[in-house]
Amino acid sequence: MEIWRLPISASQRGKLISSGYTSLSSLSSISSSDLARELKVSESEAMNILKVASHSRGSETSNASCSIVEGAQSAWDMLHDEESLMHITTSSADLDNILGGGIHCKEVTEIGGVPGIGKTQLGIQIAVNVQIPNDFGGLGGKAIYIDTEGSFMVERAFQIAEACIEDMSEYNRFLRKDFQECKIKMLPQDILENIFYFRICSYTEQIALINYLDKFLSEHKDVKVIVVDSVTFHFRQDFDDMALRTRVLSGMALKLMNLAKRFSLAVVLLNQVTTKHTEASFQLALALGDSWSHTCTNRIVLYWNGNERYAYIDKSPSLRSASAAYSVTARGIRNSSSSCKRIKMM
Amino acid sequence: MARLANLETEYPVLDSTVRNFCASHGIFSVEDFLIHDLYMLAAFAEQNDSSERLKEGIAQVLSIIDDMHQPWLNGMELLEDAKRNKHVFPTGIQGIDLLLGDGIHVGQLTELVGPSSSGKTQVCLRTASNVARNHMVLYLDTGNSFSPQRIAYFLGKTISPSSAQAKNQFLQKVMSNISCHSVFDIFAMFDVLHQLESYLRCQDGRGGCQMRLLIVDSISSLISPVLGSSSTLGRALMTSAGYLLKKLAHQHNLAVLIINHTVGGEGGSSKPALGDSWKCIPHSRLFLSCDRGSNTYNVSILRHPSMASGKAARFVI
Repeated sequence: MEIWRLPISASQRGKLISSGYTSLSSLSSISSSDLARELKVSESEAMNILKVASHSRGSETSNASCSIVEGAQSAWDMLHDEESLMHITTSSADLDNILGGGIHCKEVTEIGGVPGIGKTQLGIQIAVNVQIPNDFGGLGGKAIYIDTEGSFMVERAFQIAEACIEDMSEYNRFLRKDFQECKIKMLPQDILENIFYFRICSYTEQIALINYLDKFLSEHKDVKVIVVDSVTFHFRQDFDDMALRTRVLSGMALKLMNLAKRFSLAVVLLNQVTTKHTEASFQLALALGDSWSHTCTNRIVLYWNGNERYAYIDKSPSLRSASAAYSVTARGIRNSSSSCKRIKMM
Repeated sequence: MARLANLETEYPVLDSTVRNFCASHGIFSVEDFLIHDLYMLAAFAEQNDSSERLKEGIAQVLSIIDDMHQPWLNGMELLEDAKRNKHVFPTGIQGIDLLLGDGIHVGQLTELVGPSSSGKTQVCLRTASNVARNHMVLYLDTGNSFSPQRIAYFLGKTISPSSAQAKNQFLQKVMSNISCHSVFDIFAMFDVLHQLESYLRCQDGRGGCQMRLLIVDSISSLISPVLGSSSTLGRALMTSAGYLLKKLAHQHNLAVLIINHTVGGEGGSSKPALGDSWKCIPHSRLFLSCDRGSNTYNVSILRHPSMASGKAARFVI
């Protein structure tokens, strides 16, 4: 039943099977006009079906010379590629330390926490920090900010951008020591210009935008981070069909993974919390359920510990579980200023 | 299972008279032929004018069908095959190897189930690094969680301290045996498995380093977007993916390791995702969980062909 494997619509598949075409080889020697006549579909549809079938078959005849499968990479090559990948700093050295340098590119990172912990602040900080030029250890890329709640504040972004540029001049002054060239040519306005902002008002708009990003990113190849704030908002209320919600969310997660891998960018998803009833106690857990928590590559949980804000790495393929303190200042996310802070390894 | 019209070029016996006769009985393809009553068809052919030709045509279709089924194997041949080909690969994690009695079996589909962050990807990476010392490994990754850094770390732990260059060479040799491919939808996975099948068919003929481990991390992410809608396509794709993986495992002597996640069950407990239809497809199922905040993981057997289910163990990574 190889026809199952073709990505064609259900009605076309049904017509193919009822006319007796159940395997790919049966489609090999027929012309599109004959097929159109047999199935009673338009000629362009028939041509499409034949094209999809021959593509599937074409992959069978390509023999495996160096790679087993087209597009596979050996782990050795990937190790070297990984060493040259840059990370996006969060401006807090402790947080960068536990993250292994910062937010990783080519991965989807989910950041969740209670309201008021600083998720949007962290999102804006990342959207600004991705634009730090290569000379200062940044990626020098642009950012896409997808706002579903309306919590993005331009004035705050301006403030953070100003502070970032001041920090860069400080760095220049201390380490470069050639005063003639220490003029930072960036202005806060330039940083704001490089943030592409999308405002989303319903879950269908959210899905449509993720589908559109493919084309957008092919045109703007210097985008290096996508921040979605927050990915939960439109999926929590008024969603009657839970099965549909799971399907939509899984599909969306796979598309974001695809974008992250193909365009080598980082995807940061901000999530809210909900209470879960387990074993007669109520526990705070990230929203959207178990299926969603499986789909991200990394997960960072932000929580309060006394008066301090802490970040904890909940899920990562290569980092160990650890937590670190950070604070939200007028200049953005910075190291926590308390005297007894230390990184707790789990 | 072709249409009779298409078979005419290869088998000229099946000309238009035979086809018209079959069409008059509603038979358009070889498949229709199979579900028809052959004695009745032969009887009708007798009464027809060109009965000889028709009988030849029917015999020809029957011989085409005979070529298509798998060869018979008796018990002794199966035992020979099991002893010679179906080895057991240790995962490199002591707790799991002891629990499973040496490791994961070639020719079988082993599933790792567990809630998020319970060590499933880590077990796969450890197994891949262990098997890659002598065989080739294919890692299909849906969540960009393949970490070559971790593989290098696991390999570094196992070799004795020696010069940096020797270590580098060892890493290069072993890590070149692991291929990683990212798949982001189920049709792409079918394409990859199809290509893998043709590769394995060529591989069976020649010697050298052979592919012995296939890891799909995770198959539930690929199936969730299509499962559960009003059409039955999702479930059909899921079961055909399962059967294809089992067929590759048995025919080409691969060990297949797949990852599934959990969903909430009744009373707050978690149960494996993908539902009851998927439950019987993997040969063995292991449930992993992690104690919060520590390095120790728990593994228990949900289903295994030769070990008792319910047995549990702990391991550290």
